[in-house]
Amino acid sequence: MPATRGTDVASGTSGTPLLETRHLVKDYVLGGETVHAVADVSLSIARGEFVAIMGASGSGKSTFMNMIGALDLPTSGTLLLDGVDVGGLTSDELAEIRNRKIGFVFQQFNLLARTTALDNVATPLVYAGLNGVERRERAAKLLADMGLADRMGHTPAKLSGGQQQRVAIARALVTEPLMLLADEPTGALDTATSEDIMTIFQKLNDDGITVIVVTHEPDVAEYATRRILFRDGRVIEDAPVANRRRAKP
Amino acid sequence: MTLARTIAGWGINVAIALTALRTNLMRSILTTLGVMIGVLAVILAVAVGDGAKISVMESINSLGSNMAIVIPQPENNGGRRVVDRGRLTERDAVAIRRLVPGVSGIAPQLRSTVQMVIQGRNATTTAFGITPDYARVANVEIETGRMIAEADVRSASRVIVVGPSVATKLFGSFDPLGQSIRVNRVPFTIVGVLASKGSSLGNDNDDLALVPISTARQRFATTTVQGPDDLHVMFVGFEDGIELSEAKKNMVRVLRARNNVPKGEISPFTINTTEEFMEQTGLVTSVFQGVLVAIASISLLVGGIGIMNIMLVSVTERTREIGLRMALGAKRSDIRNQFLVEAAVLCVIGGGIGLSLAAGLSIVLANALDFPVVVSLSTAIGAIVFSAVIGLAFGSYPAIRASRLSPIEALRSE
Repeated sequence: MPATRGTDVASGTSGTPLLETRHLVKDYVLGGETVHAVADVSLSIARGEFVAIMGASGSGKSTFMNMIGALDLPTSGTLLLDGVDVGGLTSDELAEIRNRKIGFVFQQFNLLARTTALDNVATPLVYAGLNGVERRERAAKLLADMGLADRMGHTPAKLSGGQQQRVAIARALVTEPLMLLADEPTGALDTATSEDIMTIFQKLNDDGITVIVVTHEPDVAEYATRRILFRDGRVIEDAPVANRRRAKP
Repeated sequence: MTLARTIAGWGINVAIALTALRTNLMRSILTTLGVMIGVLAVILAVAVGDGAKISVMESINSLGSNMAIVIPQPENNGGRRVVDRGRLTERDAVAIRRLVPGVSGIAPQLRSTVQMVIQGRNATTTAFGITPDYARVANVEIETGRMIAEADVRSASRVIVVGPSVATKLFGSFDPLGQSIRVNRVPFTIVGVLASKGSSLGNDNDDLALVPISTARQRFATTTVQGPDDLHVMFVGFEDGIELSEAKKNMVRVLRARNNVPKGEISPFTINTTEEFMEQTGLVTSVFQGVLVAIASISLLVGGIGIMNIMLVSVTERTREIGLRMALGAKRSDIRNQFLVEAAVLCVIGGGIGLSLAAGLSIVLANALDFPVVVSLSTAIGAIVFSAVIGLAFGSYPAIRASRLSPIEALRSE
């Protein structure tokens, strides 16, 4: 239903936050002991924000990201995604939310091996139920936007790390989601390529898409407009980025 | 969920499956091999069984379509066997002809193995002492010359009709008609050659000779009969539309009365109708085929287990891919279908190759076994459908396991 997806985005008034958590808790039982991975997090992210979620490993930032990415359900508390309470949804409904509203970018790119860049980008559209022609058209356009028009037929093995990550970003954008959720997107890239990727995120954010980046690198966080710092499952700092890095013109 | 979406979804799953199978080509081939051999074995078992059925039915039909065979052997009655040999006489034949309705012909026979000699060549064959009705009842035709006639029987003349195999053995391409030949040292004149009936189940139906029943009685020592008009066997032909089971009851009644068999005693003769032969051999060949298919199915089962094993490995290896697809919006059913299709594709490829090999081998077997080995269209379609079902059945456990994975844990796996 691509037609309704457009309306979803348009109907999002600035009044409703894109994402809202109230007393969000996620517990794990490890070796008979309960670990509070995320303990009582209440925050709200508006449309069009560029948020960096920071914290050391074990701080709960990844668990938090899994929940706002509709990959995992909270133990208690409320999570509203685009006004929808995610807590009571079935696994199929969660899959649909991931498909329509969220674009994932991973540290290790997670492209399908032996599958062309074009087909990799088109994969989410398979699950959205689009036909082959439409899938290819939209994937090709996004790859061209990413400057990869001449790499569409290449498999990931024949692409550089930066190119692979740009394919992954194209894939994340192909269903026209409300937000990009990037988990350490520059973790496997060198500095120059990292800057390229963050520049792309900044440009996409300028065009209106909400970007949430989970990172432990302060440099990367400086591209965002807002920084949220996790420690021991709680938010210990939530502030605008003072000296925001702007991409080279 | 429109139909178009469903079809597109399955189509993409086939494409994904083919990519995955190509990725591990050697493994895919080896896995397919199991199903291939299984399908090959099952198809050949069905084909050999079908061929045997056809062959047996043909040979029963060649006996004559609507008839009964009476032999002077006490009927086998639940294991109670009678030591006394039964009797069957030419007078019994006359009585049946007169008293049983619907009889179209009756062919009493005396059988003996004879030695035929001509100009240094000789052949051993079975000579049947017959009456003219034999041709009609037993479905035999004359190729050249004439059949044994009523006058031959009356005068016990030394005339003989030979089967084509005997003719070839003794005369080659030379015309045997009118030739004199010594049968058990007695000179006979060849008056006819039978038309070929081919062979069935390895039996040469053309290796025989026919003489008048009276001549056989006089000239060939028949140690197995007692009285002056005893018979070895009697073929009774019936008119079309006669109920054979009813006719058999009538014959039993007549023969029991003639032999003074008290009520409750078993009959000293056995009657088999072509209908019963059909039923019995149909049952036997079905059981034979069933046993073959059951044995062959074991290899298909092993093939299926191989599929399940490899699919479980595949799911484990591709856990990360599964997690990724779930993150990109794949529902559980999408993941399940992906792996189901992969298993089915693997099986259908194996089934297809197995089917082709079976079709080829059936031709080789048919030539070697001397009876038809038939891979019918329904067997072929059945084999392909069945291999897909095997794929779905043995692929379902791995596929369901894949679909139940938690997306985060799957994504985290290496």
